[in-house]
Amino acid sequence: MKKIIGIVVAIIVIVALGFAGWLLLGRDPMSFAGGSTVALEDYKGGDVTGVPTQLASADPVKRGEYLIHAADCQACHTAPGGAPFAGGFAFNMPFGIIYSTNITPDKQTGIGKYTNAQFLAAVHKGIRADGEKLYPAMPYTSYTYMTDDDALAIKAYLFTLAPVHAPAKRDQLSWPYDQRGLMALWNVMFNRDERFRPNTGQSVQWNRGAYLAEAMGHCGECHTPRNLAYGLDNHRKFAGALTAGWRAYNITSDKDSGIGDWSDEDVYLYLSTGHANGHGGAAGPMGEATDNSLSYLAPDDVHALVAYLRSIPAHGSGLPRTVTTPAPSSHKEGVAAAPDSRGEKIFAGACASCHDWTGVSPVTGYATLTGVRAVNDPSATNVAQTVINGVNRKTAEGKIFMPAFGEGYSDDDIAVVANYVTARFGAKGAQLTGKDVANLRKQATQKPKSQEAPDG
Amino acid sequence: MVTLTINGQSREVDAPGDMPLLWVLRDHLNLVGTKYGCGIAQCGVCTVHVAGKPVRSCQLAIGDVGARAIVTIEGVAATPNGSRVQQAWMENAVPQCGYCQAGQIMSATALLDSNPHPDDSDIDAAMAGNLCRCGTYIRIRRAIKEAAAKSA
Repeated sequence: MKKIIGIVVAIIVIVALGFAGWLLLGRDPMSFAGGSTVALEDYKGGDVTGVPTQLASADPVKRGEYLIHAADCQACHTAPGGAPFAGGFAFNMPFGIIYSTNITPDKQTGIGKYTNAQFLAAVHKGIRADGEKLYPAMPYTSYTYMTDDDALAIKAYLFTLAPVHAPAKRDQLSWPYDQRGLMALWNVMFNRDERFRPNTGQSVQWNRGAYLAEAMGHCGECHTPRNLAYGLDNHRKFAGALTAGWRAYNITSDKDSGIGDWSDEDVYLYLSTGHANGHGGAAGPMGEATDNSLSYLAPDDVHALVAYLRSIPAHGSGLPRTVTTPAPSSHKEGVAAAPDSRGEKIFAGACASCHDWTGVSPVTGYATLTGVRAVNDPSATNVAQTVINGVNRKTAEGKIFMPAFGEGYSDDDIAVVANYVTARFGAKGAQLTGKDVANLRKQATQKPKSQEAPDG
Repeated sequence: MVTLTINGQSREVDAPGDMPLLWVLRDHLNLVGTKYGCGIAQCGVCTVHVAGKPVRSCQLAIGDVGARAIVTIEGVAATPNGSRVQQAWMENAVPQCGYCQAGQIMSATALLDSNPHPDDSDIDAAMAGNLCRCGTYIRIRRAIKEAAAKSA
């Protein structure tokens, strides 16, 4: 009997150790590349951190301005319609709501009193000036790879902003997630607290791309699935995940689920402008990432990101192959929706004038549905979100606009039109219900769930 | 400078490429038959033809037009279906207040150009995006069917 218990205990210990090891291996976002890495100061390849050469001799504030765009601090540290960097953006998590905080140099409510060391502790370790731990909604497990120089240049830029008095909103988390102290344990597991180490087996361009994607742009925070403990699972690096009610797509080199079939030029255009013909346009959080961050990057930096993305191992995530042929021009032909279905009626009235019955827009390539990943995703998550929230992006080429239908159309309307669009123009029709749409609205909302939410 | 082909004529326009075609038609070229309604492609009053397709001109940036020919309500009578549709519109006294009618006529003409004998379902699919707050839909449908009957 004792022997059996011993064996069982041994098996449990081995499994636990194996699991822990698996978790630990999964926390390194660059280990997929193999080869050996060196400390930055020992790297002989060239400059892979900091700003592009043309800005290299600029003052820290100018460098910080470039880097704060690269790190996309603004998207999360700005509430819709609020002052830039004054915080208040809501993260709707399964266990409650976390709000971003004010990082303007206001001395009472912002980071005006932060010393350099305190700022670095927040960025690298997720520790606030008062010693409390941040939640990893702040992507310090990515920013931990940022050099001190770059982080402090960002701080220098932030300190040139006008201070905004904006007290932090109280988080609404359920127990035990409201216990910030528990983050200490999480940090041991998931924060390597280590600066970027160039990979000597890879090109300088690749290393620059890795720095931009991991230390700055923190792509994985949305595009890499999370494990049970909400740490990034880099075993499935960039294989796509649902974040804030939007699908962050698989951006591995898998041909069906990922971007393996995209040309380098397409990836370049998508990153720098949020659009590539035949692949649709970025909306929702990726639209924000484009407009606040990626569109500011120097062309060489975007090329470096492309080179890095190209090296991500393929990882299928079950998305069907994208349909690239347009639908027939008659509404009666093509994928059979029930004749005179409600989805078709809504499409005819609200959508067809720009998107056309073929899916190829006569108005702009941004409105073409044929070949778009969201339309070929049988969950229709991003189709529904785009219908609810619309698109309102200002780009160098002009305004990209689609009306937000969320206020005027019911959950059922949005579900049936999303189902119709995915069936007609995509690989497989979605089966959304009004309840699913209500749920998607909730996840992406920036309003508190209830006006009467008890304080704390 | 952007060059546009409108109603068979080449027009030079001094306007930025992201300006909507509707603005250019009304404010630069004084083609005010095309109306402004909602401004978000949800009402249909600003419909013009671009390479034969009905397009909401409030959403089409002139920089995206390219070499495609534009036809507006001012020029649609020169096309066989346009002339038939306008005739049927008069015979049926379709308009009430008339504000949406330029868009209705452009959508109806584009429908007959691509489908000479539409049934009710085709008319619904093609015209659903053109709103008429006076509710002339029944006369619109009748006029489209009459215009179709007169085509060969």
